[in-house]
Amino acid sequence: MKRIPIDKAVPGQILAEKLARHDGVLLANQGAEITEGLLRMLSRMNIDTIVIEEEESRSAEEVINEYNQFLADLEARFIRVNDQQVLQALKKTLIFLATKARDETLALINIPADDSSPFPQKALNNQAGGGEADGR
Amino acid sequence: MAGESQIQDRVQAKREVRRIKNLPTVPGIVAKISRMVENPETSAAEVGRMISQDQVLSAKVLRMANSAFFGMSRKISSISQALVILGFDVVKGLVLTSSVFDMIQKSMAGLWEHSIGCAAASGAVATLLGRADAEEVLVAGLLHDLGKVVLALNLPEEMNLVKEKLKTGSLLFYEAESQVLDFDHCEVGQWLAEHWNLPETLAEPMRLHHRPEKAVVKPDCTAIVHVADIIIRAKGFGNAGDKLVPPVSMAAWETLGLRKTDFLPILEVLEPKLASLCDLTSIDN
Repeated sequence: MKRIPIDKAVPGQILAEKLARHDGVLLANQGAEITEGLLRMLSRMNIDTIVIEEEESRSAEEVINEYNQFLADLEARFIRVNDQQVLQALKKTLIFLATKARDETLALINIPADDSSPFPQKALNNQAGGGEADGR
Repeated sequence: MAGESQIQDRVQAKREVRRIKNLPTVPGIVAKISRMVENPETSAAEVGRMISQDQVLSAKVLRMANSAFFGMSRKISSISQALVILGFDVVKGLVLTSSVFDMIQKSMAGLWEHSIGCAAASGAVATLLGRADAEEVLVAGLLHDLGKVVLALNLPEEMNLVKEKLKTGSLLFYEAESQVLDFDHCEVGQWLAEHWNLPETLAEPMRLHHRPEKAVVKPDCTAIVHVADIIIRAKGFGNAGDKLVPPVSMAAWETLGLRKTDFLPILEVLEPKLASLCDLTSIDN
């Protein structure tokens, strides 16, 4: 998601946060699509910025590479604290969330599930290691 | 126990820093606010008017007050409104941050991001713990590494040696600082806090965020900033000078009564905040 000035917003973008008037009255829900009408209303109400969902411009391969890099960097950051159980739980939680985010992004990119795909679903699942956060 | 000569050395080192380059003076406007707030007769409107005279500063303060930090459902449109909603201490902290923003930006690439990340994480932990002073704790997180800023700007040669030492990848920033200078950014933060007469809510986390078990005045606030610093380094957001997660103080962890399962809700709250806060990376625009 990213925050953009209202004059950079275009119809079709998706709101990443609910939008409320300065007095708290709800104008549009999170997930709503931006329309011409909504933009006119917002400029009348002196709302300067909105938070929109970013379009996914990365390929599935890039997403997986970034994820693997994140895991490698994470391991390196934790080298001094591998004996602390509390911080191992923190590491596991970060892996859990990164894995979830990766899978959600990959679902958006919408990889075909047939075997001709360079990233068949089965291979993705195998990489999904990392596991759940403690106690959840 | 430190021997007498060791204490002498430290006193000497402290004098050295002051002598070589004076500590930066407290931003004039922060000193003014402190004096005004000490007077119980002062109203929010009066302080608001004083801050509002500096339009650039007010704009920066309002931008932070309306950022994802505080998640306000209503827009704060004036300084006096910010004073009523967020309180004197928080606004004072935001004024201080806005005044030293350029210094933080100049000192070290990624330190501002580390600071806003630690602030957001401090706020997330404080909110999870149901603390009424979550906003104050957040500001303490924002300013906890001010000592690094002073060191980077005043002792650039020594800090290059620190960077050399960090290249091995096995040292934390404060350990490298201690090896080169015999003191670290926490002590510099303490001198700065004394010199600027900062409240303990800001001073103790600046001094003790790496040794939170020593905190006596604001142990909870210091412990939260300690844990928040660890969380934001673990995420890899911003740059605190080294690339390592420091050990958690179990005493601080237990003081707060946090559980390992609390990391998930904290990180889930933090993630979208960090995404929104990216626009604070240049509060000049």
